[in-house]
Amino acid sequence: METDKNEKNTLPIKHKRSKNGMNNLAGYIFISPWLIGFLLLTLWPILQSFYLSFTDYSLLSDPEWSGLDNYKKIFTRDDDFTASLSVTFIFVLVSLPLKLIFSLLVALMLNQKLKGMNFYRTVIYFPSLIGGSIAVSLLWRNIFGVDGYVNEMLSWFGIQGIGWVSNPDTALGSLVLLNIWQFGSTMVIFLAGLKQIPSELYESASVDGAAKVRKFFHITLPMLSPVMFFNLILGIIGSFQMFTAALIITKGGPMHSTYMYALFLYEKAFKHFQMGYASALAWVLLVIVAIITALNFFVSRYWVFYESDGKGDR
Amino acid sequence: MNQLKNKRKHFVLILFSVFMIYPVFWWLGASLKSIEEMKSPSLWPTEPIWDNYIQGWLFSPSEHTFAHFFSNTLLMELWNVAGGVITAAIVAYGFARLNFKLKGLWFSILLMTMMLPTQVTIVPQYILFNKLDLVNSYVPLILPHFFGGGAFFIFLLVQFIRGIPRDLDEAAKIDGASVYGIFLRIIFPLIKPSLVTVAIFTFIWSWDDFFAQVLYLTSVDKFTVGLALRMYIDQFEIQWGPMLAMAMVSIIPSAIIFFLAQKHFVEGIATTGIKG
Amino acid sequence: MKRKWSKSMGLLMLVILLTITACGSNNTNEGKTTNTPKPADNSSVSNNTVDNTKPVELSIMWWGPDTRHEATLKALEIYTNQHANITFKPEYLAWDAFWAKLPTLAASKSITDVLQMDAAYIQEYVGKGTLEDLSDIDLSGIVDSNVLENLKIDGKLYGIPLSQNAQGIAFNKTALEAAGVDLPQKDWTWDEYFEFGRTAKEKLPEGQYGISDTSDLWDWYLWYQTGNGGQPLMTDGGKTFTLDRDLFFEYHNTFAQLRQDKIVPPAEQQVALLENDPTSDPMGSGVVMTRGATTGSVNALESMLPGQIDVVNLPIGKAGGGWAQSTIFLSVSANSKNKEQAKEFLKWFITDAEAGKALALTRGIPINPKIYEALEPELTPQEKLGKKIYDVALDKALPFYPIAEGYSEWVDTYKATMQSVMFGKSSVEDAYEKLNNLGLEIAAKK
Repeated sequence: METDKNEKNTLPIKHKRSKNGMNNLAGYIFISPWLIGFLLLTLWPILQSFYLSFTDYSLLSDPEWSGLDNYKKIFTRDDDFTASLSVTFIFVLVSLPLKLIFSLLVALMLNQKLKGMNFYRTVIYFPSLIGGSIAVSLLWRNIFGVDGYVNEMLSWFGIQGIGWVSNPDTALGSLVLLNIWQFGSTMVIFLAGLKQIPSELYESASVDGAAKVRKFFHITLPMLSPVMFFNLILGIIGSFQMFTAALIITKGGPMHSTYMYALFLYEKAFKHFQMGYASALAWVLLVIVAIITALNFFVSRYWVFYESDGKGDR
Repeated sequence: MNQLKNKRKHFVLILFSVFMIYPVFWWLGASLKSIEEMKSPSLWPTEPIWDNYIQGWLFSPSEHTFAHFFSNTLLMELWNVAGGVITAAIVAYGFARLNFKLKGLWFSILLMTMMLPTQVTIVPQYILFNKLDLVNSYVPLILPHFFGGGAFFIFLLVQFIRGIPRDLDEAAKIDGASVYGIFLRIIFPLIKPSLVTVAIFTFIWSWDDFFAQVLYLTSVDKFTVGLALRMYIDQFEIQWGPMLAMAMVSIIPSAIIFFLAQKHFVEGIATTGIKG
Repeated sequence: MKRKWSKSMGLLMLVILLTITACGSNNTNEGKTTNTPKPADNSSVSNNTVDNTKPVELSIMWWGPDTRHEATLKALEIYTNQHANITFKPEYLAWDAFWAKLPTLAASKSITDVLQMDAAYIQEYVGKGTLEDLSDIDLSGIVDSNVLENLKIDGKLYGIPLSQNAQGIAFNKTALEAAGVDLPQKDWTWDEYFEFGRTAKEKLPEGQYGISDTSDLWDWYLWYQTGNGGQPLMTDGGKTFTLDRDLFFEYHNTFAQLRQDKIVPPAEQQVALLENDPTSDPMGSGVVMTRGATTGSVNALESMLPGQIDVVNLPIGKAGGGWAQSTIFLSVSANSKNKEQAKEFLKWFITDAEAGKALALTRGIPINPKIYEALEPELTPQEKLGKKIYDVALDKALPFYPIAEGYSEWVDTYKATMQSVMFGKSSVEDAYEKLNNLGLEIAAKK
């Protein structure tokens, strides 16, 4: 994402500014909190983790250089790597679109002037507050367990339920469902985007005789596309790092069917005492996510519509 | 006619809300159950054990009760939110309104920091803080919030600021305002709703940050609510009753804040002009 | 109007927040905290060669449930009362948190002076040099020298045993009797065990089983292999890996048959059963009538099924079965700056009578027979169950075979691989190949 490089200030005011509108000193002063924090607290750990990816490091004793061994193992010999990467990809590919669509629909539903809307919104947002609470582990295992609520509901329709969380074919699905259940933040962002669409657009469309559905596809969606993009990018970055739910509900099982990449990485580091290998895994993930994100940015110019495009501030 | 439509809307909303919140009802019921009753799928126990809440609150292994842990956590949140909101605003203004060398590079790095799993940076960071003798304090947990509060929030605020028309900026410039003045007098007041958003998300998301808390807070009197909760689950003994009870209670602050700040919340991101 | 309302609400929240935090104790700043009173200046207790006037603060870390925390804090208090110059900086966590945190402490070279250790992990920590050699602590008359010999790694002692532990099987006596099933008898063989499973299934009500499908539990297979005369999986510190082909196939084919005959819970159900979770424990939830249990874990099980449990030892093979050994220890960090004081404390921990009383059974059956004798008269029958497991397992017990350094990956892979077999997604053949290769690979690296 490029920030506005095209700002042209033509006003002849006294500012410390070079000819092409640069404001170096002020710029750096403003971003200094982040920059300092980054250099002090984050840069060294990041570089360190990069270094460690080329070592054998148990955490209990000092790192030993091992060159490209970790990376070689990742790309040639580790079944768990391929397994967890595919589990994660499936998770992202299934849960993200569902979450986005679902959030959008609910946002539409909550975007009305109705009494008690605040209350409804809070209730619907509530699951997202639960997040990493350890209680979720019990909750999910019980609701989706063999004797759980879901199966009870299914039995009303005469369907025999299975152990959703403990069956390798469906365990991942139960985690997808959890992820979607906690769609609150995504939904709220959509809601905000909806509120920002100028009502005049809808009014003039009505005047022209447009039906609701048309309005949705020709006004709402395009105007929402930047919000959708924002949610998409953050969603990708976030779901590739999904960890807590897999850890506390299924522990990656059964049969590694829910062995999310971040969990795999964590176990390698803290359970198998292979922090060096885990660091290599982390960097592989970063590259993958960065590529996907960059691709998305590239493709975005074909479907994301910025209102202020005229001013060319993309 | 309208009334009927409204009634229908309410009906759908209520149905949906119940559906969404059902697991939480189950949770509430389970927190009142005895150990034997836990295995049954019933929603509500035959004899609710309200004592679970009292026992949970009292937290036996020390002289501290959950009141203490709540106050620890709330105080930390106060600092987190203050730091996050102020510094995120400052940094976002820099990226959104100013041009400077290497801006693109730094912004890309900003985004990239979100892509590296924390599991691998946490150990070097711990070693760092350990050398500075800051372990067993809240400093490692709070400090990061004073450095911009996290890429997500900076990104969010950048979007919002870009949605504010530059006419106001220009007008101020004509009146002789400096870049700093514009920030303080024009931009900052205008992004207040978004800042509320940052505040709320910061609050909610740092409440549950288990791994960092377990690493940096060693003595029980410094525990957060989350850490205290985890004490209820050990190798052989899992005290679900008190744990579920306290877990339920621990969500309440976030829920209250969300409910109260609703208006600002939605408006905050609404005027964010995430559209670009 | 609305805006003003929420603004003042916000202000009110802020005020409330500040009030609460003002009432809570001071907690934002760094600095070490001690949970025990500051020492008085004169100390005349202690009879060792260590300088006992210099004030020392020992950091100590352990895991456990509430009861253990309370008891241990008390014991620490007693120690400070007896040795006024020693104070403690305790840290106590639950099991998961403890083992998640310890590696980080190791990496930053800041492991506490004293730490609790478990047989499951001690080899790993010793192998990487993080624990101090404790062989010079004189434990004669307190701990049997054979026991100590068995605990030595490379001829050195790295952890002081705290309690007697043993592996046995707990069974639901009440339910079995009600169904008219013969109860398990001491020293039953593996064949008898599987036979018991079959008979029980016939007589038990629908949905209940006599035995679990323990295919995915690596230690059960370890006990089967060694009980039947095979080598332990990892020997010689892990340099040798032995996965006996015949025994492996025998064991897992038996379970494959049991699954087919529906004598054990179906894979999906079995995998959802989590030991010690009151909501889904195999025995606690009433699904299976037997379960592995140790001296340490049987109490929790008892509280789920009060008065209904009895115990027996693990099935034996020609070489014996099960184990009876200490699995929980106190160790000293190799980086500790207070090693002598720490060692002194360790010895005191298992010898002092007052401490013994305070600690009671929170870590299992105290290793010191004198302390146990002192506690015994007041124990309830339930509490004595743990001792019973020990007594019943002792004579046929084999050594405890810990996970060797570098093999935690193998253990996790075992689980995933065998689950795959349980769900019918791969064959016992494939599982054997995979596990054998992985084990040999790890052994080769040593």
